[in-house]
Order: sequence, then C-alpha cells, then structure tokens
Amino acid sequence: MSVDQVNILAEVAAMLHAIRADAGVDGEITMATRFQDDLEMESIDVISLAGRLQARYGNAVNFAEFIAKLDLDSIRQLRVGQLVAHIATALDAAEADAGHADAGLGTAGLSA
Amino acid sequence: MSIVRANGLSVHMEQLRPPEAVSGVPGGGPTAVLIHGLATDNLASWYLSMAHPLAAAGLRVIMYDLRGHGKSERPTAGYTLDHFVDDLAALLAVLDVTGPVHLLGNSFGGTIAFSYAARHPEQVAAIAAVESSPPTAAWFERVATRLDAAAAHLPHEHVLARISAERGERASRRARAARDVLVATSLARDLPASRLPAEERIAAIQCPVLWVYGGSSAVVELAPDVQRLLPHARIVTVPGQRHSILIDQPDTVRDIVLSWLRQDCGLHPGPADAAAGRDGRDQPPSPATLH
Repeated sequence: MSVDQVNILAEVAAMLHAIRADAGVDGEITMATRFQDDLEMESIDVISLAGRLQARYGNAVNFAEFIAKLDLDSIRQLRVGQLVAHIATALDAAEADAGHADAGLGTAGLSA
Repeated sequence: MSIVRANGLSVHMEQLRPPEAVSGVPGGGPTAVLIHGLATDNLASWYLSMAHPLAAAGLRVIMYDLRGHGKSERPTAGYTLDHFVDDLAALLAVLDVTGPVHLLGNSFGGTIAFSYAARHPEQVAAIAAVESSPPTAAWFERVATRLDAAAAHLPHEHVLARISAERGERASRRARAARDVLVATSLARDLPASRLPAEERIAAIQCPVLWVYGGSSAVVELAPDVQRLLPHARIVTVPGQRHSILIDQPDTVRDIVLSWLRQDCGLHPGPADAAAGRDGRDQPPSPATLH
C-alpha cells in the first residue's frame, strides 16, 4: 500500500466511523473491511459517503461514476480498499493532468 | 451526506453537477430531479442507474429521499400526495432551482412528478416515469391495496422469512424497509385520503413524457389509461420485467431514457464515458447511448 493510500484510508475510515457511530458499529477499518458484512451498511449508507468525499477531494474523485458500474447488491459487497484505490488513482490522474485536463475533451459529449 | 431543511423537514439529498466541458455552462445546464418510489425504495435506485449518465450528458442532477424514507426525516404523520408535492416544491426553492426541470420518477415518484407538473406546468420541461401512473383514482386504489397488504403482513417475522427464502435477500431487505416506514408512520392511511388533481389538469400537461413499463408487471395494465390521458406520451414496455425494473435492469432503463432525451427533449447526451472525460476511458461504450 502506498503512502497515499495509507493517508486516504485513514481519511475514509474517519468518514465511515462518523457515519456508523450512530449505528453502534465500531472497530478498526482496514482495506479488507466490507461495507455490508463488517460495517452493516446498506446501499443508501454507502451513497451517503458521496457528499463527504466531494467535500474532501473535490471533483477529481468521481464517486458517482465509480459506483455507477455497480448495482444495489454489488455496492454492498465492496471493500473499503476498492474505494481507497479508486480515490488514489483518481487523485494521481488529476495531478498528472493538471493544467491540460480538459484539452482533449472539447465537445465530445455533444457530437454523438 | 447532504441534509437540507425543506418544508419543515430534514431532507437527505445528493447532487451531481455536469463537467463544464459538457454543459458549456459553469455549474451546469438544465436540472433533472430524480424521485424514488414508496416504502421499499430510496434515492439509491436512481443514484446507481441514472445519476452519472445524466450528469455526463450535461444535466445538474438532484436526488432526494422522500419524507419517511432513506435518510430523510420520518414524521409519524403527513403522507398525502400534497405533502410529497409540497416537499418537492420546497426542495427546489431551497436549492434555488428556477428554470423548468426534468423530472424522473420511479413508481409513486412518477406520480409525484405528474402532480407537481399539474400544479406548476410551466416549471416542468419533461417527465420520465418508470412503472408509474399520473395521480388517478384507479392508481391510488391500487397503491392503497398494496400498502394495506404490506402493512398487514410485513410486521410478521415469518412473512419476512418467507420473502427471504422465496425471493432472496434483496427482496427481503426491501420488505424490511417497507415494514419500518409503514409501522412508524401513517403512510398507509394518509395516502388513500389524498386530494387528487382534476383529470383536465393532468391532460393539460404538454411537455414530453416517457413511460417505461415492465411487461410482466401488473402496473402495465394502466398504460391504456395513461395513453388516453396523455396521447402524446411515448410508452416503452420491456418484455419480461417486473415492477422493480429500475433496480433489476438499470442499463436498459438508462438506454431508454437517454434515447428519449435525445429524440423528444432535444438534449444531446453523448456516451457517458466520453462526456465524463479521462476517468471514463476504460469503460466500454454503450451502443444504445451512441446511436
């Protein structure tokens, strides 16, 4: 696990503790922690992370796109590590693309 | 999680803004509001099916949990159609949404959309409704019967155990969610007592309308009534699908809605992956959104 991932895991774990505290769910959160089996999170609980992720990481981490590939069942099978890896990759790419992020996009979305 | 106060309640909402490269307008172009169904549903079904594709197509996307549902506040009473429509109007006001909106509704969420449009026709640009009906007496009778049956049976653990055994864990979770809201609130009693808009108000809705039905769902029986009220509406029936088509077949619903937005609403949603930019390059394009 990279230094970046260690830091991101700590931040995501803090968010999850905040969300799950009222449900009495406690304990260490690792990359292997499962949203459903370990944290007792329903899909709606996982989705409610979106606002916190947006506030912390901005638009670089496209949470909606990440989970758009999943359905109601598979989102609950996710492990924390998969989300951490997505965030790390997205932040790396944003850094690498800084300054010319939009250059290749143009109106691609409008011409189809 | 974003909580806003609207109509005196704490409302859980999530919002996506389109990439500026797509909308051409900082902060986004038109707004879409996605409304889920009663009892078993919450905003997750829309978040996982349409939120990202609509944002990638240039729309500002707003989703919220209805009163009593998901992570929104659950008052014990106040669940007539007017309450739900007032909530939607208040939420749009709080979020400063002024232009005409695209409304997408699943099941009773579509009914809320039509009721809002009957009240504020100038505020609605288009409506897409999945497994739904306008607020007609026939539809409310059906919904009331379903809610009554659910309220009578779901509180019994053996009923939930049977649902789990026969229909799987997903159905069982949805049933538990329904039981919780029905036991804690007057929803099943309030909704049948709703004041319905006059049929002329519904028939006067002129914006583009899309209906999506599952061919194996009982709700598709309402399609002829819907066609009579709104002859200009487009109706798509997906063979073999049931009432839960939005969560069972999100890709199918997405393709139908995006193609309707293009053909009937003058929007130009490109492929979600191209519009989303760099992060989307690994996704296979979806043929139905390309052509």
